Amino acid sequence: MASGDRRLEEPGDDILVRIRGLAFAHGGRRIFDGVDLDIPRGKVTAVMGPSGTGKTTLLKLIGGQLRPQAGTIEVDGEDVHALSKGDLFRLRTRMGMLFQSGALLTDLTVFGNVAYPLREHTRLPESMIRKLVLIKLEAVGLRGARDLKPNELSGGMARRVALARAIALDPMMIMYDEPFTGQDPISMGVLVKLIRQLNDASRLTSIVVSHDVADTTSIADYLYVIAGGKVMARGTPAEIRASSSEWVTQFMEGLPDGPVHFHYPAPALATDLLGAG
Amino acid sequence: MLEALARLGHLGLHALARLGRGHLLLLAILSGLPSLLARPRLLLAQIHNVGVLSVLIIVVSGLFVGMVLSLQGHYVLSQFGASESLGVMVAASLVRELGPVVTALLVAGRAGSALTAEIGLMKATEQLSGLEMMAVDPIKRILTPRFFGGLLSMPLLAAMFSAVGVIGGYFVGVGLLGVDDGAFWSQMQSKIDWREDIVNGVIKSLVFGWVVTWIALFEGHDAIPTSEGVSGATTRTVVHSALAVLCLDFVLTALMFGD
Repeated sequence: MASGDRRLEEPGDDILVRIRGLAFAHGGRRIFDGVDLDIPRGKVTAVMGPSGTGKTTLLKLIGGQLRPQAGTIEVDGEDVHALSKGDLFRLRTRMGMLFQSGALLTDLTVFGNVAYPLREHTRLPESMIRKLVLIKLEAVGLRGARDLKPNELSGGMARRVALARAIALDPMMIMYDEPFTGQDPISMGVLVKLIRQLNDASRLTSIVVSHDVADTTSIADYLYVIAGGKVMARGTPAEIRASSSEWVTQFMEGLPDGPVHFHYPAPALATDLLGAG
Repeated sequence: MLEALARLGHLGLHALARLGRGHLLLLAILSGLPSLLARPRLLLAQIHNVGVLSVLIIVVSGLFVGMVLSLQGHYVLSQFGASESLGVMVAASLVRELGPVVTALLVAGRAGSALTAEIGLMKATEQLSGLEMMAVDPIKRILTPRFFGGLLSMPLLAAMFSAVGVIGGYFVGVGLLGVDDGAFWSQMQSKIDWREDIVNGVIKSLVFGWVVTWIALFEGHDAIPTSEGVSGATTRTVVHSALAVLCLDFVLTALMFGD
Protein backbone atom coordinates (compact mmCIF):
# COMPACT_ATOMS: atom_id res chain seq x y z
CA MET A 1 0.00 0.00 0.00
CA ALA A 2 1.43 3.35 -0.95
CA SER A 3 -0.78 5.74 0.86
CA GLY A 4 -0.48 7.98 3.87
CA ASP A 5 -3.21 6.20 5.82
CA ARG A 6 -1.30 2.97 6.25
CA ARG A 7 -0.84 2.08 9.91
CA LEU A 8 2.80 2.77 10.67
CA GLU A 9 3.55 -0.01 13.04
CA GLU A 10 2.23 -3.48 12.54
CA PRO A 11 2.08 -6.25 15.14
CA GLY A 12 5.34 -8.12 15.26
CA ASP A 13 7.29 -5.24 13.74
CA ASP A 14 10.58 -4.60 15.48
CA ILE A 15 11.10 -0.88 15.10
CA LEU A 16 14.59 0.54 15.64
CA VAL A 17 13.90 4.19 14.78
CA ARG A 18 10.50 5.66 15.59
CA ILE A 19 9.74 9.22 14.47
CA ARG A 20 6.50 10.90 15.53
CA GLY A 21 5.13 14.33 14.67
CA LEU A 22 8.51 15.61 13.48
CA ALA A 23 8.53 19.33 12.68
CA PHE A 24 11.68 21.15 11.66
CA ALA A 25 12.24 24.52 10.04
CA HIS A 26 15.49 26.14 9.04
CA GLY A 27 16.08 29.71 7.91
CA GLY A 28 12.33 30.37 7.83
CA ARG A 29 11.68 27.36 5.57
CA ARG A 30 9.56 24.52 6.93
CA ILE A 31 11.37 21.29 6.06
CA PHE A 32 9.31 18.75 8.01
CA ASP A 33 5.75 19.26 9.10
CA GLY A 34 4.37 16.45 11.23
CA VAL A 35 6.31 13.53 9.77
CA ASP A 36 5.74 10.02 11.19
CA LEU A 37 8.21 7.37 10.15
CA ASP A 38 9.31 3.93 11.34
CA ILE A 39 12.57 2.20 10.47
CA PRO A 40 12.30 -1.56 11.03
CA ARG A 41 15.24 -3.39 12.58
CA GLY A 42 17.41 -5.52 10.32
CA LYS A 43 16.02 -4.08 7.08
CA VAL A 44 17.26 -1.70 4.42
CA THR A 45 14.89 1.27 4.49
CA ALA A 46 15.20 3.96 1.87
CA VAL A 47 14.03 7.54 2.22
CA MET A 48 13.60 9.12 -1.18
CA GLY A 49 12.50 12.47 -2.43
CA PRO A 50 13.51 15.33 -4.70
CA SER A 51 16.62 17.38 -3.95
CA GLY A 52 16.15 19.87 -1.14
CA THR A 53 13.37 17.99 0.64
CA GLY A 54 15.45 17.52 3.76
CA LYS A 55 16.63 13.94 3.40
CA THR A 56 20.09 14.71 4.79
CA THR A 57 18.46 16.86 7.47
CA LEU A 58 16.42 13.81 8.50
CA LEU A 59 19.63 11.81 9.06
CA LYS A 60 21.13 14.67 11.09
CA LEU A 61 17.96 14.77 13.19
CA ILE A 62 18.14 11.02 13.81
CA GLY A 63 21.82 11.35 14.75
CA GLY A 64 21.03 14.20 17.16
CA GLN A 65 23.11 16.76 15.25
CA LEU A 66 20.00 18.89 14.76
CA ARG A 67 17.14 19.47 17.18
CA PRO A 68 13.53 19.42 15.92
CA GLN A 69 11.04 22.14 16.83
CA ALA A 70 8.43 19.50 17.63
CA GLY A 71 8.04 15.74 17.69
CA THR A 72 10.18 12.90 18.95
CA ILE A 73 12.80 10.60 17.48
CA GLU A 74 13.49 7.36 19.32
CA VAL A 75 16.45 5.17 18.42
CA ASP A 76 16.41 1.75 20.05
CA GLY A 77 13.89 3.04 22.58
CA GLU A 78 15.88 6.16 23.54
CA ASP A 79 14.54 9.63 22.81
CA VAL A 80 17.55 11.10 20.98
CA HIS A 81 16.82 14.72 21.88
CA ALA A 82 16.14 14.06 25.56
CA LEU A 83 19.56 12.45 26.10
CA SER A 84 22.45 14.18 27.84
CA LYS A 85 25.52 14.89 25.70
CA GLY A 86 27.33 11.90 27.19
CA ASP A 87 24.40 9.56 26.57
CA LEU A 88 23.98 10.89 23.03
CA PHE A 89 27.66 10.21 22.30
CA ARG A 90 27.26 6.71 23.79
CA LEU A 91 24.29 6.11 21.47
CA ARG A 92 26.27 7.43 18.49
CA THR A 93 28.94 4.79 19.01
CA ARG A 94 26.18 2.34 18.00
CA MET A 95 25.25 4.36 14.90
CA GLY A 96 27.34 4.69 11.78
CA MET A 97 26.92 7.39 9.21
CA LEU A 98 28.23 7.50 5.69
CA PHE A 99 28.45 11.12 4.55
CA GLN A 100 27.98 12.09 0.93
CA SER A 101 31.55 13.40 0.77
CA GLY A 102 32.97 10.51 2.80
CA ALA A 103 34.08 13.02 5.48
CA LEU A 104 37.43 11.23 5.84
CA LEU A 105 40.05 12.96 7.97
CA THR A 106 42.44 14.27 5.36
CA ASP A 107 45.55 14.21 7.57
CA LEU A 108 45.24 10.46 8.21
CA THR A 109 45.81 7.50 5.91
CA VAL A 110 43.06 5.07 4.99
CA PHE A 111 44.26 2.82 7.82
CA GLY A 112 44.32 5.73 10.27
CA ASN A 113 40.79 6.74 9.32
CA VAL A 114 39.34 3.29 9.90
CA ALA A 115 41.34 2.86 13.11
CA TYR A 116 40.22 6.27 14.39
CA PRO A 117 36.95 5.26 16.11
CA LEU A 118 38.63 2.17 17.57
CA ARG A 119 41.46 4.24 19.01
CA GLU A 120 39.02 6.85 20.36
CA HIS A 121 36.51 4.51 21.95
CA THR A 122 38.32 1.32 22.86
CA ARG A 123 41.44 0.41 24.79
CA LEU A 124 42.39 -2.37 22.41
CA PRO A 125 46.09 -3.06 21.87
CA GLU A 126 47.51 -1.78 18.59
CA SER A 127 47.97 -5.34 17.27
CA MET A 128 44.25 -6.01 17.71
CA ILE A 129 43.31 -2.67 16.13
CA ARG A 130 45.46 -3.57 13.14
CA LYS A 131 43.65 -6.87 12.68
CA LEU A 132 40.20 -5.28 13.02
CA VAL A 133 41.04 -2.50 10.57
CA LEU A 134 42.35 -4.97 8.01
CA ILE A 135 39.18 -7.08 8.36
CA LYS A 136 36.97 -4.01 7.84
CA LEU A 137 39.05 -2.88 4.86
CA GLU A 138 38.89 -6.38 3.41
CA ALA A 139 35.08 -6.24 3.66
CA VAL A 140 35.04 -3.16 1.41
CA GLY A 141 37.81 -4.48 -0.85
CA LEU A 142 40.41 -1.84 0.05
CA ARG A 143 42.90 -3.72 2.24
CA GLY A 144 45.56 -2.93 -0.35
CA ALA A 145 44.85 0.81 -0.14
CA ARG A 146 45.57 1.06 3.57
CA ASP A 147 48.55 3.40 3.19
CA LEU A 148 46.93 5.85 0.78
CA LYS A 149 45.83 9.32 1.84
CA PRO A 150 42.22 10.43 1.20
CA ASN A 151 43.34 12.76 -1.62
CA GLU A 152 44.74 9.74 -3.48
CA LEU A 153 41.36 7.97 -3.51
CA SER A 154 38.61 8.13 -6.12
CA GLY A 155 35.15 9.21 -4.96
CA GLY A 156 33.91 5.63 -4.86
CA MET A 157 36.96 4.42 -2.93
CA ALA A 158 36.59 7.27 -0.42
CA ARG A 159 33.01 6.21 0.25
CA ARG A 160 34.07 2.60 0.74
CA VAL A 161 36.74 3.68 3.23
CA ALA A 162 34.12 5.79 5.00
CA LEU A 163 31.90 2.71 5.06
CA ALA A 164 34.70 0.63 6.61
CA ARG A 165 35.12 3.37 9.23
CA ALA A 166 31.35 3.48 9.85
CA ILE A 167 31.31 -0.26 10.63
CA ALA A 168 34.54 -0.21 12.66
CA LEU A 169 32.70 -0.28 15.99
CA ASP A 170 30.11 -2.82 14.75
CA PRO A 171 27.14 -0.46 15.05
CA MET A 172 23.50 -1.51 15.16
CA MET A 173 22.57 0.79 12.28
CA ILE A 174 24.15 2.73 9.43
CA MET A 175 22.78 5.82 7.78
CA TYR A 176 23.82 6.39 4.18
CA ASP A 177 23.58 9.95 2.87
CA GLU A 178 23.20 9.89 -0.93
CA PRO A 179 25.64 6.99 -1.35
CA PHE A 180 25.17 6.74 -5.13
CA THR A 181 25.57 10.40 -6.11
CA GLY A 182 28.34 11.01 -8.62
CA GLN A 183 29.43 7.36 -8.86
CA ASP A 184 30.40 5.58 -12.05
CA PRO A 185 28.42 2.40 -12.84
CA ILE A 186 31.08 0.07 -11.39
CA SER A 187 31.43 2.01 -8.11
CA MET A 188 27.65 2.22 -7.96
CA GLY A 189 27.33 -1.55 -8.37
CA VAL A 190 29.98 -2.13 -5.70
CA LEU A 191 28.21 0.18 -3.23
CA VAL A 192 24.79 -1.36 -3.87
CA LYS A 193 26.23 -4.83 -3.26
CA LEU A 194 28.12 -3.70 -0.14
CA ILE A 195 25.13 -2.03 1.46
CA ARG A 196 23.00 -5.14 1.02
CA GLN A 197 25.75 -7.56 2.05
CA LEU A 198 26.76 -5.63 5.14
CA ASN A 199 23.15 -5.27 6.20
CA ASP A 200 22.45 -8.98 5.92
CA ALA A 201 25.80 -10.38 7.08
CA SER A 202 26.20 -8.09 10.10
CA ARG A 203 22.48 -7.93 10.97
CA LEU A 204 22.56 -4.18 10.63
CA THR A 205 19.73 -1.78 10.09
CA SER A 206 20.33 0.48 7.12
CA ILE A 207 18.75 3.81 6.28
CA VAL A 208 19.55 4.93 2.75
CA VAL A 209 18.73 8.47 1.76
CA SER A 210 18.77 8.94 -1.98
CA HIS A 211 17.00 10.32 -5.02
CA ASP A 212 18.37 7.61 -7.27
CA VAL A 213 15.21 5.59 -7.96
CA ALA A 214 16.61 2.54 -9.78
CA ASP A 215 19.46 1.63 -7.48
CA THR A 216 17.66 2.50 -4.28
CA THR A 217 14.59 0.44 -5.09
CA SER A 218 16.85 -2.47 -6.03
CA ILE A 219 18.20 -2.81 -2.47
CA ALA A 220 15.49 -1.35 -0.26
CA ASP A 221 13.09 -3.58 1.67
CA TYR A 222 10.94 -0.61 2.48
CA LEU A 223 10.59 2.88 1.01
CA TYR A 224 9.46 6.27 2.16
CA VAL A 225 8.96 9.05 -0.35
CA ILE A 226 9.01 12.51 1.22
CA ALA A 227 8.35 15.92 -0.31
CA GLY A 228 7.06 19.27 0.89
CA GLY A 229 7.69 18.35 4.51
CA LYS A 230 5.33 15.34 4.40
CA VAL A 231 5.55 11.62 3.75
CA MET A 232 4.00 11.30 0.29
CA ALA A 233 4.13 7.50 0.13
CA ARG A 234 5.37 4.52 2.09
CA GLY A 235 5.55 0.83 1.29
CA THR A 236 7.65 -1.82 -0.40
CA PRO A 237 9.22 -0.85 -3.74
CA ALA A 238 6.48 -2.81 -5.56
CA GLU A 239 3.74 -1.04 -3.61
CA ILE A 240 5.24 2.37 -4.33
CA ARG A 241 5.57 1.60 -8.03
CA ALA A 242 1.90 0.59 -8.10
CA SER A 243 0.86 3.85 -6.45
CA SER A 244 -1.99 5.73 -8.07
CA SER A 245 -0.65 9.08 -6.87
CA GLU A 246 0.32 11.31 -9.81
CA TRP A 247 3.12 12.89 -7.78
CA VAL A 248 4.62 9.51 -6.84
CA THR A 249 4.37 8.31 -10.44
CA GLN A 250 6.13 11.46 -11.68
CA PHE A 251 8.94 10.99 -9.15
CA MET A 252 9.39 7.25 -9.69
CA GLU A 253 9.26 7.51 -13.49
CA GLY A 254 11.32 10.69 -13.62
CA LEU A 255 8.75 12.55 -15.74
CA PRO A 256 9.75 16.16 -16.55
CA ASP A 257 6.29 17.61 -15.97
CA GLY A 258 3.40 16.71 -13.72
CA PRO A 259 2.29 17.87 -10.28
CA VAL A 260 5.86 19.13 -9.92
CA HIS A 261 6.12 21.68 -12.73
CA PHE A 262 9.06 22.01 -15.08
CA HIS A 263 8.95 25.82 -14.78
CA TYR A 264 9.77 27.68 -11.63
CA PRO A 265 6.78 29.93 -10.78
CA ALA A 266 6.97 33.09 -12.93
CA PRO A 267 4.66 35.55 -14.68
CA ALA A 268 3.55 34.65 -18.23
CA LEU A 269 6.41 34.67 -20.74
CA ALA A 270 4.72 37.29 -22.96
CA THR A 271 4.23 39.64 -20.02
CA ASP A 272 7.87 39.22 -19.06
CA LEU A 273 9.21 39.75 -22.61
CA LEU A 274 7.04 42.75 -23.37
CA GLY A 275 7.48 44.29 -19.95
CA ALA A 276 9.59 47.39 -19.43
CA GLY A 277 11.92 45.24 -17.29
CA MET B 1 16.88 57.39 7.12
CA LEU B 2 14.80 54.68 8.75
CA GLU B 3 16.31 52.15 6.41
CA ALA B 4 19.83 53.21 7.39
CA LEU B 5 18.89 52.92 11.05
CA ALA B 6 17.44 49.47 10.46
CA ARG B 7 20.61 48.43 8.66
CA LEU B 8 22.72 49.75 11.51
CA GLY B 9 20.58 47.84 14.01
CA HIS B 10 20.88 44.70 11.93
CA LEU B 11 24.68 45.07 11.81
CA GLY B 12 24.76 45.61 15.56
CA LEU B 13 22.66 42.54 16.23
CA HIS B 14 24.79 40.50 13.85
CA ALA B 15 27.98 41.62 15.61
CA LEU B 16 26.50 40.85 19.04
CA ALA B 17 25.34 37.42 17.89
CA ARG B 18 28.85 36.66 16.62
CA LEU B 19 30.36 37.86 19.88
CA GLY B 20 27.98 35.58 21.80
CA ARG B 21 28.80 32.59 19.61
CA GLY B 22 32.49 33.36 19.99
CA HIS B 23 32.27 33.31 23.78
CA LEU B 24 30.22 30.12 23.82
CA LEU B 25 32.83 28.50 21.59
CA LEU B 26 35.61 29.72 23.87
CA LEU B 27 33.85 28.17 26.89
CA ALA B 28 33.48 24.88 25.02
CA ILE B 29 37.17 25.01 24.02
CA LEU B 30 38.28 25.67 27.61
CA SER B 31 36.09 22.85 28.92
CA GLY B 32 38.20 20.49 26.81
CA LEU B 33 41.34 21.22 28.86
CA PRO B 34 41.06 18.18 31.20
CA SER B 35 40.78 15.77 28.27
CA LEU B 36 43.71 17.54 26.56
CA LEU B 37 45.88 17.06 29.64
CA ALA B 38 45.13 13.36 29.44
CA ARG B 39 46.47 13.31 25.86
CA PRO B 40 49.44 15.70 25.77
CA ARG B 41 50.55 14.39 22.37
CA LEU B 42 47.70 16.31 20.75
CA LEU B 43 49.02 19.52 22.34
CA LEU B 44 52.60 18.82 21.27
CA ALA B 45 51.46 18.29 17.67
CA GLN B 46 49.75 21.69 17.68
CA ILE B 47 52.72 23.45 19.31
CA HIS B 48 54.66 22.04 16.37
CA ASN B 49 52.06 23.26 13.85
CA VAL B 50 51.60 26.74 15.24
CA GLY B 51 54.97 27.29 16.92
CA VAL B 52 57.75 25.31 15.30
CA LEU B 53 56.52 25.95 11.77
CA SER B 54 56.47 29.71 12.48
CA VAL B 55 60.07 29.79 13.77
CA LEU B 56 61.68 30.65 10.44
CA ILE B 57 59.57 33.73 9.72
CA ILE B 58 59.90 34.86 13.35
CA VAL B 59 63.70 34.51 13.39
CA VAL B 60 64.22 36.27 10.06
CA SER B 61 61.83 39.09 10.97
CA GLY B 62 63.38 39.45 14.43
CA LEU B 63 66.85 39.73 12.96
CA PHE B 64 65.89 42.50 10.55
CA VAL B 65 63.76 44.40 13.08
CA GLY B 66 66.70 44.32 15.54
CA MET B 67 69.11 45.57 12.87
CA VAL B 68 66.81 48.41 11.83
CA LEU B 69 66.21 49.38 15.47
CA SER B 70 69.94 49.59 15.98
CA LEU B 71 70.45 51.77 12.91
CA GLN B 72 67.65 54.18 13.80
CA GLY B 73 68.48 54.16 17.52
CA HIS B 74 72.11 54.97 16.88
CA TYR B 75 71.16 57.93 14.70
CA VAL B 76 69.09 59.49 17.49
CA LEU B 77 71.27 58.50 20.46
CA SER B 78 74.53 59.64 18.86
CA GLN B 79 73.12 63.18 18.59
CA PHE B 80 72.94 63.26 22.39
CA GLY B 81 76.25 61.45 22.90
CA ALA B 82 74.40 58.45 24.31
CA SER B 83 75.40 55.75 21.82
CA GLU B 84 76.38 53.45 24.68
CA SER B 85 72.70 53.19 25.58
CA LEU B 86 71.98 51.55 22.22
CA GLY B 87 71.86 48.07 23.79
CA VAL B 88 69.26 48.97 26.36
CA MET B 89 67.17 50.85 23.78
CA VAL B 90 67.13 47.89 21.38
CA ALA B 91 66.40 45.35 24.11
CA ALA B 92 63.68 47.40 25.83
CA SER B 93 61.91 48.12 22.53
CA LEU B 94 61.98 44.45 21.61
CA VAL B 95 61.05 42.92 24.95
CA ARG B 96 58.35 45.42 25.85
CA GLU B 97 56.75 46.13 22.48
CA LEU B 98 58.04 44.85 19.21
CA GLY B 99 58.66 41.26 20.30
CA PRO B 100 55.11 40.54 21.49
CA VAL B 101 53.33 42.76 18.92
CA VAL B 102 55.19 41.88 15.73
CA THR B 103 55.25 38.18 16.70
CA ALA B 104 51.48 38.26 17.22
CA LEU B 105 50.95 39.95 13.84
CA LEU B 106 53.19 37.42 12.11
CA VAL B 107 51.55 34.46 13.86
CA ALA B 108 48.12 35.82 12.90
CA GLY B 109 49.22 35.99 9.26
CA ARG B 110 50.95 32.64 9.11
CA ALA B 111 49.39 30.30 11.67
CA GLY B 112 46.08 32.09 12.36
CA SER B 113 45.03 32.14 8.74
CA ALA B 114 46.12 28.49 8.39
CA LEU B 115 44.04 27.51 11.43
CA THR B 116 40.95 29.27 10.07
CA ALA B 117 41.33 27.69 6.64
CA GLU B 118 41.91 24.25 8.16
CA ILE B 119 38.88 24.38 10.47
CA GLY B 120 36.70 26.00 7.79
CA LEU B 121 37.60 23.32 5.27
CA MET B 122 37.05 20.57 7.84
CA LYS B 123 33.57 22.02 8.30
CA ALA B 124 32.96 22.35 4.54
CA THR B 125 34.06 18.75 3.89
CA GLU B 126 31.90 17.46 6.76
CA GLN B 127 34.91 16.23 8.74
CA LEU B 128 33.64 17.97 11.89
CA SER B 129 30.18 16.45 11.39
CA GLY B 130 31.82 13.10 10.76
CA LEU B 131 33.67 13.31 14.08
CA GLU B 132 30.44 14.17 15.88
CA MET B 133 28.73 11.15 14.38
CA MET B 134 31.68 9.01 15.49
CA ALA B 135 30.85 10.22 19.02
CA VAL B 136 34.00 12.36 19.12
CA ASP B 137 33.52 15.98 20.22
CA PRO B 138 35.20 18.03 17.46
CA ILE B 139 35.66 21.04 19.72
CA LYS B 140 37.55 19.07 22.36
CA ARG B 141 39.43 16.93 19.86
CA ILE B 142 40.28 19.52 17.18
CA LEU B 143 39.87 23.04 18.58
CA THR B 144 41.10 22.74 22.18
CA PRO B 145 44.59 21.42 21.28
CA ARG B 146 44.96 24.14 18.64
CA PHE B 147 43.91 26.86 21.09
CA PHE B 148 46.41 25.85 23.77
CA GLY B 149 49.06 25.15 21.14
CA GLY B 150 48.71 28.75 19.91
CA LEU B 151 48.52 30.17 23.43
CA LEU B 152 51.72 28.48 24.58
CA SER B 153 53.62 29.05 21.34
CA MET B 154 53.15 32.82 21.31
CA PRO B 155 55.42 33.77 24.29
CA LEU B 156 58.05 31.28 23.13
CA LEU B 157 58.06 32.78 19.64
CA ALA B 158 58.10 36.33 21.04
CA ALA B 159 61.10 35.43 23.23
CA MET B 160 62.84 34.04 20.17
CA PHE B 161 62.00 37.19 18.19
CA SER B 162 63.42 39.44 20.91
CA ALA B 163 66.57 37.35 21.39
CA VAL B 164 67.36 37.26 17.68
CA GLY B 165 66.48 40.97 17.42
CA VAL B 166 69.03 41.81 20.13
CA ILE B 167 71.67 39.82 18.25
CA GLY B 168 70.78 41.66 15.02
CA GLY B 169 71.01 44.98 16.90
CA TYR B 170 74.39 43.93 18.30
CA PHE B 171 75.81 43.13 14.86
CA VAL B 172 74.76 46.47 13.44
CA GLY B 173 75.49 48.59 16.53
CA VAL B 174 78.78 47.08 17.61
CA GLY B 175 79.94 45.52 14.34
CA LEU B 176 79.04 48.26 11.89
CA LEU B 177 78.53 51.48 13.84
CA GLY B 178 81.34 51.07 16.35
CA VAL B 179 79.37 51.18 19.62
CA ASP B 180 81.39 49.87 22.55
CA ASP B 181 80.87 46.14 23.03
CA GLY B 182 80.98 46.20 26.83
CA ALA B 183 78.67 49.21 27.12
CA PHE B 184 76.13 47.60 24.78
CA TRP B 185 75.75 44.51 26.98
CA SER B 186 76.37 45.97 30.46
CA GLN B 187 73.80 48.77 30.08
CA MET B 188 71.30 46.25 28.78
CA GLN B 189 71.99 43.96 31.74
CA SER B 190 71.63 46.73 34.32
CA LYS B 191 68.61 48.52 32.87
CA ILE B 192 66.36 45.73 31.64
CA ASP B 193 64.22 44.69 34.60
CA TRP B 194 62.95 41.14 35.00
CA ARG B 195 59.52 42.04 36.41
CA GLU B 196 58.95 45.36 34.65
CA ASP B 197 60.14 44.43 31.17
CA ILE B 198 60.36 40.70 30.64
CA VAL B 199 57.37 39.49 32.67
CA ASN B 200 55.18 42.25 31.20
CA GLY B 201 56.30 41.24 27.71
CA VAL B 202 55.40 37.62 28.41
CA ILE B 203 51.97 38.68 29.75
CA LYS B 204 51.37 40.65 26.54
CA SER B 205 52.35 37.63 24.45
CA LEU B 206 49.99 35.36 26.36
CA VAL B 207 47.12 37.81 25.89
CA PHE B 208 47.88 38.12 22.17
CA GLY B 209 48.22 34.34 21.84
CA TRP B 210 44.81 33.90 23.50
CA VAL B 211 43.11 36.48 21.28
CA VAL B 212 44.73 35.57 17.95
CA THR B 213 44.11 31.83 18.35
CA TRP B 214 40.56 32.39 19.59
CA ILE B 215 39.73 34.64 16.61
CA ALA B 216 41.30 32.16 14.17
CA LEU B 217 39.42 29.17 15.58
CA PHE B 218 36.11 31.02 15.86
CA GLU B 219 36.30 32.32 12.30
CA GLY B 220 37.02 28.80 11.00
CA HIS B 221 34.27 27.21 13.07
CA ASP B 222 31.75 29.93 12.21
CA ALA B 223 32.67 30.06 8.50
CA ILE B 224 29.99 29.49 5.89
CA PRO B 225 31.02 26.07 4.53
CA THR B 226 31.75 27.20 0.96
CA SER B 227 34.94 28.33 -0.76
CA GLU B 228 33.87 32.01 -0.51
CA GLY B 229 32.90 31.50 3.12
CA VAL B 230 36.28 30.03 4.07
CA SER B 231 38.20 32.64 2.11
CA GLY B 232 36.24 35.46 3.78
CA ALA B 233 36.80 33.91 7.20
CA THR B 234 40.55 33.67 6.58
CA THR B 235 40.73 37.34 5.64
CA ARG B 236 38.70 38.31 8.71
CA THR B 237 41.07 36.35 10.93
CA VAL B 238 44.08 38.36 9.78
CA VAL B 239 42.30 41.73 9.86
CA HIS B 240 40.52 41.25 13.20
CA SER B 241 43.58 39.71 14.84
CA ALA B 242 45.81 42.60 13.74
CA LEU B 243 43.31 45.19 15.00
CA ALA B 244 42.75 43.34 18.26
CA VAL B 245 46.49 42.99 18.88
CA LEU B 246 47.21 46.68 18.23
CA CYS B 247 44.27 47.89 20.36
CA LEU B 248 45.07 45.51 23.20
CA ASP B 249 48.71 46.52 23.04
CA PHE B 250 47.74 50.11 23.76
CA VAL B 251 45.52 49.07 26.67
CA LEU B 252 48.11 46.72 28.14
CA THR B 253 50.93 49.22 27.73
CA ALA B 254 48.87 51.90 29.47
CA LEU B 255 48.10 49.50 32.33
CA MET B 256 51.64 48.16 32.66
CA PHE B 257 53.84 51.17 32.02
CA GLY B 258 51.54 54.18 32.45
CA ASP B 259 52.22 56.21 35.60
